[in-house]
Amino acid sequence: MTLLMHASQINGLPVVTVQGGEDVAEVRDVIYSPEAGHLVGLTLNKRGFLSGRRREVLPVEAIHAIGRDAVMVADESSLVLPEDAPDDVAHPGPDRNVVGDDVLTVGGVSLGTVRDLALLVGSAGEVVGYEIEKAGGGRGYIPLPAQLAVSGSALVVPDITEEFVRDDLVGLGAAVDDFRARLGLR
Amino acid sequence: MTDSFRQAAGRKLISRTSAQDLGTVAHLLVDAQRRQIAAVVVGRGKKARLVDWSQISGFGPDAVMVGDEGALRPPADDRERLAADGKLEILGQRALTELGNAMGTVDDVTFDTGTGALVHLRVGDREIPAAAMLGSGSYAVVLADHGEPVT
Amino acid sequence: MDAMNWLVVVLIVLLLAALAFVVIRRRGRAGGVFATRPKP
Repeated sequence: MTLLMHASQINGLPVVTVQGGEDVAEVRDVIYSPEAGHLVGLTLNKRGFLSGRRREVLPVEAIHAIGRDAVMVADESSLVLPEDAPDDVAHPGPDRNVVGDDVLTVGGVSLGTVRDLALLVGSAGEVVGYEIEKAGGGRGYIPLPAQLAVSGSALVVPDITEEFVRDDLVGLGAAVDDFRARLGLR
Repeated sequence: MTDSFRQAAGRKLISRTSAQDLGTVAHLLVDAQRRQIAAVVVGRGKKARLVDWSQISGFGPDAVMVGDEGALRPPADDRERLAADGKLEILGQRALTELGNAMGTVDDVTFDTGTGALVHLRVGDREIPAAAMLGSGSYAVVLADHGEPVT
Repeated sequence: MDAMNWLVVVLIVLLLAALAFVVIRRRGRAGGVFATRPKP
């Protein structure tokens, strides 16, 4: 069974070291590459309700796993200074909030707009689907192939995605393997 | 012989040579990487002292025996100060898998009284071998993932 | 009575400053989900 979670659930999660059992930071922004099909990194806050931002960032290579209750890293050296991280992680464009982006099929059909991302629990940020506000109204979930094309602020998906719109994360989890198998057999 | 952290809490520490009462067990400090008790914390607050496992001549069901008062020493570094303040207490600590999912809280830990090696951690109704422990600190105990069902 | 009025003013200013601090801090911590910039 594929267990999934929303990317928005990652905001605010503690960053915990596997070896030290310490909560060294908290997640602020989640940065996603549609082309790569996974997260590229996280920006951080210090722990504590009134603490400020943390300068260090967490590139995806340094993430051990993302779960429902914490983002796990090997140790505190996994957190790097922005100058040592890819530019997209160090300076996420505030105008590139993925929520609201249009989801278009290759054939030009709009399936809706992105509300959130669906990630594999326990992976290092593998994105397997989107939560969308459907074009006709209401919420839905669509599976994604391993890589995706981006055009401006629209995300482009294969035509057969239209057949795989589901109502919840559980339905999406069940659909992902079938969907990818269908793409593979094409 | 095995014993448990919960049962050992509050046990008297006695000097083998003078039979003097040296205090009671407040906390047991764990070395997660070695899966071993590192030291016994005796007493609380400013008076808290540490006894390295190597200084313990016998960890019995009714008393913990040490050579003499010299076995008790003040905390030597930041981590030991945290332990002395009870911030590293493993009982009641949050249990997380290395994949970032909560498993519950650590209800008890069993150990070998001869070697100080940890045997099992009890988390809820699960008994987890100490070999699965990857790290332990002030926020959580991190356990290896062996396909544990995500609650 | 004058002193009481001043005290009230000072307290209100301090309260507003504290609230401003909390609001600015919490806003600075707010995060989102962002996509990487498309290649030119």
